[in-house]
Amino acid sequence: MAEIKVIKGTGQLTCLGLGSCIGLLAYDAESGVCGMAHIMLPEAFKDKPVDKPGKFADTGVPALLAEIEKAGGNIRRLTWVFTGGAQVFKYGAGTASKLDVGARNGEAVNAHLKKLGARILAQDIGGTSGRTMVANIETGEVRVRTVQGGEKTLCQLKRVRAEAA
Amino acid sequence: MAGQTYEFDLMQMSAIREMANIGLGHATTALANVTGKSFNMDIPNVETVCLEEVPMMMGDPSDVCVGISMPIEGDVEGYTAFLFPWKSAQELWGMLLGYSPESPEDVDDLPASAMLEVGNILSASFMNALSDMTGLKIHATPPMVSIDLAYTIAASIVAEAELSDAVALAIETRLFGMENQQTTGYFLCVPTLEGLNKLFAALGIQGAA
Repeated sequence: MAEIKVIKGTGQLTCLGLGSCIGLLAYDAESGVCGMAHIMLPEAFKDKPVDKPGKFADTGVPALLAEIEKAGGNIRRLTWVFTGGAQVFKYGAGTASKLDVGARNGEAVNAHLKKLGARILAQDIGGTSGRTMVANIETGEVRVRTVQGGEKTLCQLKRVRAEAA
Repeated sequence: MAGQTYEFDLMQMSAIREMANIGLGHATTALANVTGKSFNMDIPNVETVCLEEVPMMMGDPSDVCVGISMPIEGDVEGYTAFLFPWKSAQELWGMLLGYSPESPEDVDDLPASAMLEVGNILSASFMNALSDMTGLKIHATPPMVSIDLAYTIAASIVAEAELSDAVALAIETRLFGMENQQTTGYFLCVPTLEGLNKLFAALGIQGAA
């Protein structure tokens, strides 16, 4: 949780067990740079220092951009994918939580990407299932796995490159 | 504070451990009463970790679990939760219902409400024990149940806890069935610093800064 990882050309990025958290993925097809942030909360606390910028949507998006740029990616070429933002407590009287962190995380990430004019390739948010997202940079496949619904392909990062070319 | 770990002195740590011990002792007895089986527990492990580390502490993070979350209200605020790995949850269902769902997809309203009831019983006995010990008003709000990865469940609780500033320390322990030791459960308690200091004050111990 709260970490930002960037890889280039090869390997895979995994966000394990996203409940209310958001796994935010950005990919630059041309340089092959791919970054992922595991966002936990919608915004940083005003009165507290931010120790891990990847933890919050408002600090996580710019921090992810900076890391991608540092790795040689072009932030104007990025395509974005994000999943998570669920309410995993499905049963019980208190499930309509007043805090509803998952929904707020989803809204916050969406708002920050909109502000950037970001190209969102795919999103899979909300619901009551935790998700594990795995992005394979070699094949370009982004897969999402849930405990009750099994595994499915969310999108193809490479197809974007083919279309663009 | 976000990402901060707190320092507690020896006296404070043993007070926390003792409160957890007594509270969980009552909870374990209550669980034995409803299931008709004996349970035991490990000595609670009290760690002042930063909250992001908590999801890695509750057994294997990629295990499917049944998680019961119970926010605490009253003089002390915070979050408590029990996590039962899938096989253990199945054993509990067997004891309570006489049958168990075969896979997570088969969980419907009846097994879910059985787990809500387990949550009610565990949290009521835990909170009552703490109230009796300290004279403070501590009560649990209605439990919520999730069937997901241990990591997912713990992370979702921790995110809410951090948002409500309910961040001080994590109390984690393991419950297990006496007969074959196969039923295991993990307990997590994340009180606010303010709430924790009220508990310390009630016991005549100096609070943490």
